[in-house]
Amino acid sequence: MEGAGKRKLEVCLVTILGMAAALLMIFPIIWLCFSSFKPSSELFAYPLHLFPQDPDGSAYQGVVEDGLFTYVKNSLFLAVVGTLITVGISAMCGYALAIYRKEISYVNKVFAVFLLGTLIPGEILTIAQFTVVSEMGLYNNIWGCILPVVTTTTGIFMYRQHYMSIPLELVESGRLDGASEFHIFRALMLPLGSSVTITLTIFSFMWRWNDYILPLMVLSDQENFTIQIAIKSYIGTMGVDWNSILAASILSIIPIIVIFIVLQRYITGGLAASGVKG
Amino acid sequence: MKKRQQAFCHTRSFWMFVIPSLALFGVFFLLPLGLSIWFSFTNYDGWKTMEFIGLKNYRDILTNGDFYKTVWRTIVYTVCNLPFKIAIPLLLAALVTSKSLRGTTLVRTLVYIPVLFSALVAGITINWMFGQEYGLINYLLQKIGVDPLQWSLNPVLATVVISVASNWISAGYYMLLYVGGINNISKELYEAASVDGAKKTQAFFRITLPLLMPTTFIVLLLSTVNLLKEYALVQGISLGGPGSSTTYIVQYIFDQGFNQYRYGYASAAGVIISILFIVIAMVQFRATKGGGEV
Repeated sequence: MEGAGKRKLEVCLVTILGMAAALLMIFPIIWLCFSSFKPSSELFAYPLHLFPQDPDGSAYQGVVEDGLFTYVKNSLFLAVVGTLITVGISAMCGYALAIYRKEISYVNKVFAVFLLGTLIPGEILTIAQFTVVSEMGLYNNIWGCILPVVTTTTGIFMYRQHYMSIPLELVESGRLDGASEFHIFRALMLPLGSSVTITLTIFSFMWRWNDYILPLMVLSDQENFTIQIAIKSYIGTMGVDWNSILAASILSIIPIIVIFIVLQRYITGGLAASGVKG
Repeated sequence: MKKRQQAFCHTRSFWMFVIPSLALFGVFFLLPLGLSIWFSFTNYDGWKTMEFIGLKNYRDILTNGDFYKTVWRTIVYTVCNLPFKIAIPLLLAALVTSKSLRGTTLVRTLVYIPVLFSALVAGITINWMFGQEYGLINYLLQKIGVDPLQWSLNPVLATVVISVASNWISAGYYMLLYVGGINNISKELYEAASVDGAKKTQAFFRITLPLLMPTTFIVLLLSTVNLLKEYALVQGISLGGPGSSTTYIVQYIFDQGFNQYRYGYASAAGVIISILFIVIAMVQFRATKGGGEV
């Protein structure tokens, strides 16, 4: 009897602790969200209230008038096109590195070249990357933010690992049926890699949506800005336009949170195998 | 004859599959890598001038106090944050894998959500709480009778705010790595321990913690690399200030390159810093036998 009571107390304490931790982690976002509905007169006046005393969507109206839809459209283009390319080329590459490893002697050497990509963070190479992008005439062009980042060693690695666990006999049987190598990949093997495809799609979308450094360097005209760069543009050297920045920040995280909640099991499941490199 | 034909066909297919990735990787990673090294021996200004000047950039950097200060500052920032990068996710993981917790999914989801944010927005979000004049934290401090703190004017406090933001967006991710590690520990070990009369805290320190060493090692490496290259987060908070007290190495390179138009000098700084990252990557590569587990 005493044991059951003790157990109940423990459940109670641990659950309270867990909820407190969760609340602490999520609170900054709640605070940001409520603040975004406060007019400036309330943002910068004591006493502070959690709930807006006089809720007001003028900050949102302001960022929409500033061209929010253009920024969102640019961000979506970067994220969707970038992700399609990443998934396509990573699947092909990872697949080939796995399937031909027994037949072709230098496959692992090719793989080693891609592993170089994990040695040095992209940030260190940004200046030279920027030079290449400019020389190609992609300055102030969204493609200049897409092409440099679509190859990810993480993606290639995920597909390679996955296809190495699939028996080669399956490919052989396709060959015996007379299918071309590309047809075997597309019709037979690609569907078998769908778990990796889903994980990589989600992560790539998130990486590209959140991309900051390259768009900041490459995009110069406001009409080409992504949402991240638009947010950054509200931070001036003279001061910060807090009203706009709060509203734009909240709007920028909505798509990512929606995707996360809908596809949560793929994210938390596929994550341990995926690393963090974007 | 047929065999040879097939082998040729497969070699061709292999290259067809690999070429798109390889070409993009070559143009946007290997080429910039080569260019960085080349620029580092020139006085390239990003526009017209580009003369070979030998090792001058390297000599300048290695005799420049600012460079050493920036590297030292970055290392101090990294080392001071590492204990938190391990302890917070570990405690969270212990909490969300506890059988006594109700609402596990909810807690995990909420703790993980900050991971989804861009570093810039995460910086802004935390910065908003730590505002000097109308920030929530200072307001609460005043409520309990403490003087408001100068979060953006005091170098140490500015670093604290950045550290809070950095831990805030990474804790959920590392927590998941630890959850994976904890789930891999055999339940029988805990049963045996409890039969022997071990308390839960004892089991945590004697069983969980030692068996999580591989995960801890990965978390340590990942967070070291991420802390050393902290940049976007700082842009949402202090822009490197006050003064240059929160300017870390990536920002130093960008300032030299894009603001001062010293591409050559910035590239040389990048080459020197790369050595640091390569050493870390080598350690990681060795430890995970080819990066397999990360």
